[in-house]
Amino acid sequence: MKIRAEKDFWSGVMFLGFALVAIVAARHYSTGSGGKMGPGYFPMMLGIALAGLGALLVGRSLVLEGTRVTRLQARPILMIVLGVILFGLMIPYLGLVVALAAVTVVSAFASRESQPLEVAALAAVLAAFSVGIFVYALRLPLTVWPAL
Amino acid sequence: MDFVSNLSLGFGVALSAQNLGYCFIGALLGTVVGVLPGIGPVTTVAMLLPISFTLQPVSALIMLAGIYYGAQYGGSTTAILVNIPGEASSVVTTIDGHQMALRGRAGPALGIAALGSFFAGCAATLLISIAAPPLAAIALEFGPAEYFSLMVCGLIAAVVLAHGSIVKAIAMVILGLLLGLAGTDVNSGIRRFDFGFQGLADGIEFVALSMAIYGLAEVAYNLERKDEQGVVTQAVGRVWPGWADIKTCIPSILRGTALGSILGVLPGGGALLASFAAYTLEKKVARPPRSFGQGDIRGVAAPESANNAGAQTSFIPMLTLGIPSNPTMAMMIGALMIHGIAPGPRVMTERPELFWGVVASMWVGNLMLVILNLPLVGVWVRFLRIPYRMLFPAIVGFCCIGTYTINSNAFDVFVMGFFALFGYLCLKLECEPAPLILGFVLGPLMEENLRRALLISRGDPMVFVQEPISLGFLIASALLLVVVAAPAIRAKREEALQE
Repeated sequence: MKIRAEKDFWSGVMFLGFALVAIVAARHYSTGSGGKMGPGYFPMMLGIALAGLGALLVGRSLVLEGTRVTRLQARPILMIVLGVILFGLMIPYLGLVVALAAVTVVSAFASRESQPLEVAALAAVLAAFSVGIFVYALRLPLTVWPAL
Repeated sequence: MDFVSNLSLGFGVALSAQNLGYCFIGALLGTVVGVLPGIGPVTTVAMLLPISFTLQPVSALIMLAGIYYGAQYGGSTTAILVNIPGEASSVVTTIDGHQMALRGRAGPALGIAALGSFFAGCAATLLISIAAPPLAAIALEFGPAEYFSLMVCGLIAAVVLAHGSIVKAIAMVILGLLLGLAGTDVNSGIRRFDFGFQGLADGIEFVALSMAIYGLAEVAYNLERKDEQGVVTQAVGRVWPGWADIKTCIPSILRGTALGSILGVLPGGGALLASFAAYTLEKKVARPPRSFGQGDIRGVAAPESANNAGAQTSFIPMLTLGIPSNPTMAMMIGALMIHGIAPGPRVMTERPELFWGVVASMWVGNLMLVILNLPLVGVWVRFLRIPYRMLFPAIVGFCCIGTYTINSNAFDVFVMGFFALFGYLCLKLECEPAPLILGFVLGPLMEENLRRALLISRGDPMVFVQEPISLGFLIASALLLVVVAAPAIRAKREEALQE
């Protein structure tokens, strides 16, 4: 067996995965009867439909020619997600300035063109700008500095 | 007359000093994001949602709407001058617009784009104020069965008009519906799909999901591709087009406006489809066909009018039915719900100042945009000199702040990180995210209407085909699917979307 349409194949696998999660989780919710639809009725219906479509995509990808997936580049997306997670971990305890500097610096290295000095300057400008706009002008409930 | 009193109410709201200010901020920001490639209106609206909490709902909506149609103006500026479409809806404008610029006619191209957009904006706003009240009146009569079928029809239409594979698009809609169901079920109180996380008790935060996909995943995807640097044309020259140019363009502007207005109302339509369709139509019907592709001014006038008309009329289904026709409208619905307003036909009767204020602000905003765009073209072009490497960390940072401030909950930020990975995979696998977002917004509504319809019919699913209006929507959905599945038409559609 040969995968002819890579993009279809892998999207099919992805949809099958989500469908499986949905069906397994929805198994515990009661479906009820038609007239009194339970909390599991609609999710189960959708899960089965999604599984069907996923299977269709996988099956079709073995028959019909399609396009290949272009090479995954791990660096940009992983640096961005890492930056986001750092922000989430820091913001409740260390405040806006530190958390924003962390996400700016880390995610900047998603691009190979970023230069350290430039990134530092950008982080400083962004932090000052955000404190000005979000904290002082809009009065959003954000702490600015680490609570000591 | 109702029409006049409604509009005067609207202008009363839109012309207050405060709302004029927000309209201006929206139009200005919209122009800037329209100019900057890599940041679309969806991302910007998502980033500004937290700001809109602190405003009155009317002011919030006026500002967010300004961003959306402002982006259509800004996108055309860069398309013409540097051959980089600032927005997807300006892609076709590059074809003739940049050719005109290369031939020293950048000024008239910019001028006609702004004039066409302005005319289209005014015409479409008028259409909204005429068409919306009767539509809302009809929608008020809809029962749950009609609503369910309407949503099915809307989602199918969105799928048909999406790029690429239909099967993938339908799967994305269903996945979106499923994601929308996460959280506490209002009827049984059971928490669904929370996987033990306390943070998912209220479901997946819409802002986190949309910023992950339209902000973060897009940034990562953009970074993979080589930066294309366009050459900024030196002299813009006289901006106002001559009378001869205007005369040539009048039919094109009218055609573009009409086509754009219709396509904007359709689910999945909006500005993008409108501009492509208008250019294709113009190439077929404009006489003499002479020089399309070589700097024909009609090739700028038609799509630019159409994308602005489409951007405006896509508010019709959102404001009257509560159904989003594209991701930006889904974002607007999100903004309304944050303010505790359930979008739907009742908004017009219960909050007339909201509805008519937003409609009137579009007129005001369009006028501001003409003034902003023509004399200040030089300023906008300078924005293009900002390198993407300085821009994207700022986008990532603002997405983080925006998501966190919605509930002051770090969990939402982690959810955003997760969906950024997912969104990136989708882009790599050519799964369009727009159907997913529409499904996400409609998920709970669809379930609720399905439940009510079946409750009334005592579990008989035939209710959906026995009610004539509901049947009509279902037949329309089936027809759409058949039309797309038919190979001959499919080839045509590919061709149309390719152009």
